[in-house]
Amino acid sequence: MKLSAEAKSVLQSSLAKNKIDENEQKEIEDLIDGLPDDRVLIYKNVESDPLGDIYRYSIHIRLQHMLTFVTFLTLAFTGLPIHFFNASWAEPFNSILGGVDVTRVIHRTIAVVMVSSMLYHILTLVAGTISRILSGTFDIRRTIIPLWKDAKDFKDDLLYFAGKRLQRPEMDKFMYKQKLHYFAASFGNTVMVISGSSFLFPELWASILPASISSEFQELMRLSHPHEALLALLVVAFWHWYNVHLAPGRFPMQWTFLTGKITREHQIEEHFLEYIRNLVELPDERKKLKEMMESRGLFNQSANADQGS
Amino acid sequence: MKTDYAKKTYVGSVIMFKSILNKIKRPLQNIKRPLGWIQFNLIFLIVFNVTTVQASENASSPFEDDESCLTCHKYPRMMRVTDEGTIRSYYIMPDVYANTVHRNVPCRDCHTNIQQLPHEPVEKGVSCDTQCHSIKNPATGKPFSHKVIVDAYSQSVHGREKVETGIESDKPYCITCHNNPIYDPIEQAPPEHIVSRCVLCHEDGNFVQQWYKHTSRRIREVKNTSAQIVQLCSACHGDEKLVTKHIEHAKKEGRELGEKFAVAVESYNDSFHGKLTNYGFGETANCLDCHAEQENYYKSVHEIKPSRDPESPVHKDNRVETCQQCHSLADENFASLDPHPTTKTETGVGVFRSLAEKIYNMMSVTVIFGLLGLAIFETIGRRRDGVSFVLRKSTSWRRKSKRGRDRV
Repeated sequence: MKLSAEAKSVLQSSLAKNKIDENEQKEIEDLIDGLPDDRVLIYKNVESDPLGDIYRYSIHIRLQHMLTFVTFLTLAFTGLPIHFFNASWAEPFNSILGGVDVTRVIHRTIAVVMVSSMLYHILTLVAGTISRILSGTFDIRRTIIPLWKDAKDFKDDLLYFAGKRLQRPEMDKFMYKQKLHYFAASFGNTVMVISGSSFLFPELWASILPASISSEFQELMRLSHPHEALLALLVVAFWHWYNVHLAPGRFPMQWTFLTGKITREHQIEEHFLEYIRNLVELPDERKKLKEMMESRGLFNQSANADQGS
Repeated sequence: MKTDYAKKTYVGSVIMFKSILNKIKRPLQNIKRPLGWIQFNLIFLIVFNVTTVQASENASSPFEDDESCLTCHKYPRMMRVTDEGTIRSYYIMPDVYANTVHRNVPCRDCHTNIQQLPHEPVEKGVSCDTQCHSIKNPATGKPFSHKVIVDAYSQSVHGREKVETGIESDKPYCITCHNNPIYDPIEQAPPEHIVSRCVLCHEDGNFVQQWYKHTSRRIREVKNTSAQIVQLCSACHGDEKLVTKHIEHAKKEGRELGEKFAVAVESYNDSFHGKLTNYGFGETANCLDCHAEQENYYKSVHEIKPSRDPESPVHKDNRVETCQQCHSLADENFASLDPHPTTKTETGVGVFRSLAEKIYNMMSVTVIFGLLGLAIFETIGRRRDGVSFVLRKSTSWRRKSKRGRDRV
């Protein structure tokens, strides 16, 4: 297949960063040359293990996801009945855990766990980035940081969904949806921590802020905490769970959050640029892909067709 | 414990049974029959009633009818139809009265204008600041009276006379809150483990029971739970019709009501204090914790002042101190935080809050429907190219696509 300029630059930088020697480089280029031009044919014809094929998330990220998962749901479960005390479901939900005397303690304790997991995440990010910079493998395109490309990808993807394009855009390790979701969640978390702390330490916040805005600030926090909670819960329930449980190809569950691995077809479809890096970094993956393509007569198709004619 | 409960239930049911008997007797009086039949009925009634009174006196009470009021008032049909067409009953159940807080007060100590028997029609009700002639204050030796508290109350924002007409009559009088329940199972049968201990020295079981009732009632009722206090205040301040009526009345008179008067209960319920109280958590501020002085609390709850009054604990100058009762680190800034958050006021923080709420709602709706739309759009788009829902047999691209390019 002929790589786009973007994919070519990803390939070149990956080859350089991994210090690939000439023989191996030739092998990689040959493999890519032999792939079908239509990327759809690649991801439709590979073999994938539902539990995942290609390593993606470290144990730290998986742990942080579990921590967020558990704390978020517990916090919502203990917090929402307090805010919506008038609703018919509030009282039973609150009583299940022993009433507000108990849930307020649970809520605060779990909040501390959630803040710790945030700090753990930040530590992982900083340490990981520093180690990559030192080893010379850092690439901003491979991070969660939003780039202009993501806006273009989003537009192209919408056009594909509408049927106006034959291919999905070539997206990187984190696609626009993931970046959006990640920053929405971190923004939400920050809001929850600040507003939550303004309930727990109202005197502290009042003494820090100037008198002219302390009242407005408290009002805003009182409003933000439940609103953000409900919004986050709805986004998780309707969008995140759709993406990882209900979306075609992911049903009934995507195992990445436990195994740390993504399926091959998913990686090629939604994270093609990352897959190119995988081909550079994982000789085994090159072998497997070549075998899969050859067994279906899709490898070196144009060359075969030439020979045939 | 079980026997205690059984006793209470037993005494309770005896009282109920008696009142039911009385109800059964009433219709008999209405039936027009020959004289003999009525006479028989009257004799039956008198005999039965007297025995009932005697029986109950023997059982529990020291109630003595020295003034002979019961001669007439013991009859259940002692009632009249008022000019407004309502029935007013003048029936006294001796055994019930004997268990109320005023059981030792002779009738005429409160019903002062009754001078002779049979008495003239009563024009004026009783007032709680009347001095008792028969009951002396054991501490001072003076005639007992609720005058101190009635005077304090009349100075408060709630203050009113016993008989009021018009808008003032909406305000609570003593008996609005102190409804003096006439039947309390705990008082009917004081706990055996307490009484049996007192009797050792005080010997007279009846005396001990009276003392138990006297003291325990006061201990039980002086400090209500937060939830009960909020419920009590909400009975009027949460009544939308009543509140609107008073706001309009104040406008006509050109008086100024507190900014939160209209939403006091609703906004309290929305605050953290309110939510916790609502769930039965006691260690949080209820109405009286802020609106009454905590020093001399029991007098102070009777003389609640509006927030514009410099003596009110929620007056601007007193707020910091009031907050500090619980929030020991509270300062001026903290005291400026709104304890009654609401979007329904037209000034101050309420406006800001209502604007912020609108923006939040809009944002949330946009985000949720936007993402939901994207999810549906994405599903349609990918299904068009032949994706199945489940990854099975090593692929999820098993379906045939109209665009071709199918799995080989």
